[in-house]
Amino acid sequence: MTDWNAMTDAEFRKEVRQFFEAEYPEELRHLPHRPKFAEIEHWHRKLHAKGWVAPAWPAEFGGMGLNASKLLIFYEEQQRWGVNRGRDMGVQMVGPLIIKFGTQKQKDYWLPRILSCEDIWCQGYSEPGAGSDLANLRTRAEIDGDDFVINGQKIWTTMAHDATHIFMLVRTDPDAPKKQQGISFLLAPMDQPGVDVRTITTLSGETEFCEVFFDNARTPRENLVGELNKGWTMAKALLSFERIFIGSPSLAQNALGQLESFARGRGAFDDPVFRDRFAQAALDVEDHAALYARFADQLKRGETLGADVSMLKIWVTECFQRITELMIEAAGPDGGSIGPLQVGNVSVDVLSSFYKARPTTIYGGSNEIQRNILSKAVLGLPG
Amino acid sequence: MTQTDILSSEQEDLRLLRESARTLFERAGGSDRARKLRDAGGGFDAEMVRELAEAGVFGVAVPEDQGGLGMGLAAGGVIAEEVGRVIAPEPVVSTIGLSLGLLRRLCPDHPKMAQLIGGEISLAVAWQERGPDGAPADATCRYADGKLTGGKAWVVGAIGSHGFLVVAEQDDGPVLVLAEADAQGLVIDKRTQADGSSLGELSFSGTPAAELASGGAVLTALAEAVADATALAAAELVGLSERAFEITLDYIKTREQFDKPIGSFQVIQHRAVDLNVMCEVAQAGVREALAQMDSETDPKVRAPIASRAKARAVTAAKKITRDAIQLHGAVGYTDEFDIGLYLNRALVLSAWLGDDAYHRRIWFEAREAEGAAQ
Repeated sequence: MTDWNAMTDAEFRKEVRQFFEAEYPEELRHLPHRPKFAEIEHWHRKLHAKGWVAPAWPAEFGGMGLNASKLLIFYEEQQRWGVNRGRDMGVQMVGPLIIKFGTQKQKDYWLPRILSCEDIWCQGYSEPGAGSDLANLRTRAEIDGDDFVINGQKIWTTMAHDATHIFMLVRTDPDAPKKQQGISFLLAPMDQPGVDVRTITTLSGETEFCEVFFDNARTPRENLVGELNKGWTMAKALLSFERIFIGSPSLAQNALGQLESFARGRGAFDDPVFRDRFAQAALDVEDHAALYARFADQLKRGETLGADVSMLKIWVTECFQRITELMIEAAGPDGGSIGPLQVGNVSVDVLSSFYKARPTTIYGGSNEIQRNILSKAVLGLPG
Repeated sequence: MTQTDILSSEQEDLRLLRESARTLFERAGGSDRARKLRDAGGGFDAEMVRELAEAGVFGVAVPEDQGGLGMGLAAGGVIAEEVGRVIAPEPVVSTIGLSLGLLRRLCPDHPKMAQLIGGEISLAVAWQERGPDGAPADATCRYADGKLTGGKAWVVGAIGSHGFLVVAEQDDGPVLVLAEADAQGLVIDKRTQADGSSLGELSFSGTPAAELASGGAVLTALAEAVADATALAAAELVGLSERAFEITLDYIKTREQFDKPIGSFQVIQHRAVDLNVMCEVAQAGVREALAQMDSETDPKVRAPIASRAKARAVTAAKKITRDAIQLHGAVGYTDEFDIGLYLNRALVLSAWLGDDAYHRRIWFEAREAEGAAQ
């Protein structure tokens, strides 16, 4: 077993880069949509054979056991080469939770199946009445013999139509004094009569999001992870690394690169107004990267990130949106056209970038929620 | 020592430097001192200059073999941030960046170097000129037979300085000369700035001056010194913005309306967060830029890095000081509250050596030139 953490950062980066560059299928680079598993299965097999499916998991569970610093490098290289994250809900969300709170039996059963993608997971958190106010969720799970019986509805469930299992937050004690209490973390199979999945067509015409309806759906009691009614605290405990990842510069950097080649091809830089707005955007990206590096250094020193890391997400997502607006501006009369626009030997899908930028300020805690968090937890403002 | 150890010991040095600079300024009276000096006519405190010199402030970026601390621009930035926090009127950035920046590159053995580092004197650098339309114009100030003729504009620290480092033209090219403050034929026209300080408009009519250096090296050194000063001014704006934000944050936590602190209203909270984020991005960007300038020697690379820093710092300081007034409400518009001092200082520092729009243009043009060269 390789001890990746014993390598220098530079050696490790080289190793990761070489693997991606040599092995990652060219046709899957920078995929503009979220793939179904079948589309990326051949890549997943390679990754699995290499033992690189779960970079953050401890080696004893089949992961790479990377520390924070190496993990950042891994993700940076992944994004740099446009390597698709694959169907990683299992690896990113369920696995770590089972590792931390699951029983030995749950670990033995579920973890290998996550790594092999025998089970493909989707995340059942949001509900029609529980978005930013997630603790308001109402989907009920009641004990009936050896099973939980689930009734309710989840929404914005990414790729639920291509998942075999769902991990969900459900209400198991409707009478708890606070709504954050009385929530449990449950695993359930999708392939059963009580589960109905409907895709939601987004503004961009994609169908990545789904609604999932539960009508007396069942899951064995042993699929409860952690203690009953403790799901909220568990789910929150997992978010700390996610919070820097979601604020990484890559989305904005990639969009800026696309904007530049597109704008150059279209002659947009002849316009001094456009030049200035481009310079603003480019400097916004560069200075964000400096702030990101400061937080990343904190992780590398082994420190825990504070709530202030949320500012990365606010800045980079709003910057990403401004960049895609500039792309539309540079497209001129083509600004409303769907599909790739050819400029010289570059092809840029202007509207696809624009649409991709929209939900970034909504998901992962909307930017308004992030501002609420910062104002209270960092600035100490009252109320 | 590993690379990480070296890095962290450098970080530790900077932390100690920051602490000692902050203590020094706080002990001297913080921003109250700036108000008093402004009310007394807008000069600076020569005693404070000596104290700063004792702490090694002016020689911070001067190499050790030239009598400085050799800590680089990153350390200069630390000092500049602390100057910005208390809006100290002493010519710290202009001395570290411009006067010492010029002398250490052109004539490191000149006795004025040691006097500047020691805080015994201050010298103002006169390099820009005003055209007939009032805008910056090419240099026409002449130096011949040991005498200066012509004019210079936008001279920072002109009032209270012991002399002027003047960039002029002579028959065979550019020249750097030193004119004493009381030299014959030198007239200083004072232009009062928003913060109470003054810019000097100098006119020379046969003013005696001593040649320090000549030739193309003068312009190269000038460009380098201006880049240093630009980046340091950015750091000063970062410190200023940080403190202006802190003052505002304290205010919205205590000011009550509708029986609640106004900082409990979400619209105020979100604006405060935006200012905070702006501030942190500026701090990270400017500190990174200063560190990069320390590890770069090519002037063509260093100049756009300085522009990046100033563009960011001015953008942030503009937003923060203007919104700070708004968040203070009517009292923010009074001279009695300190926040206005920060706004006024930000106006002056933003205009000095180029504002955000100017530096974005410089940065972009350098980027294009680099792209074309590849």
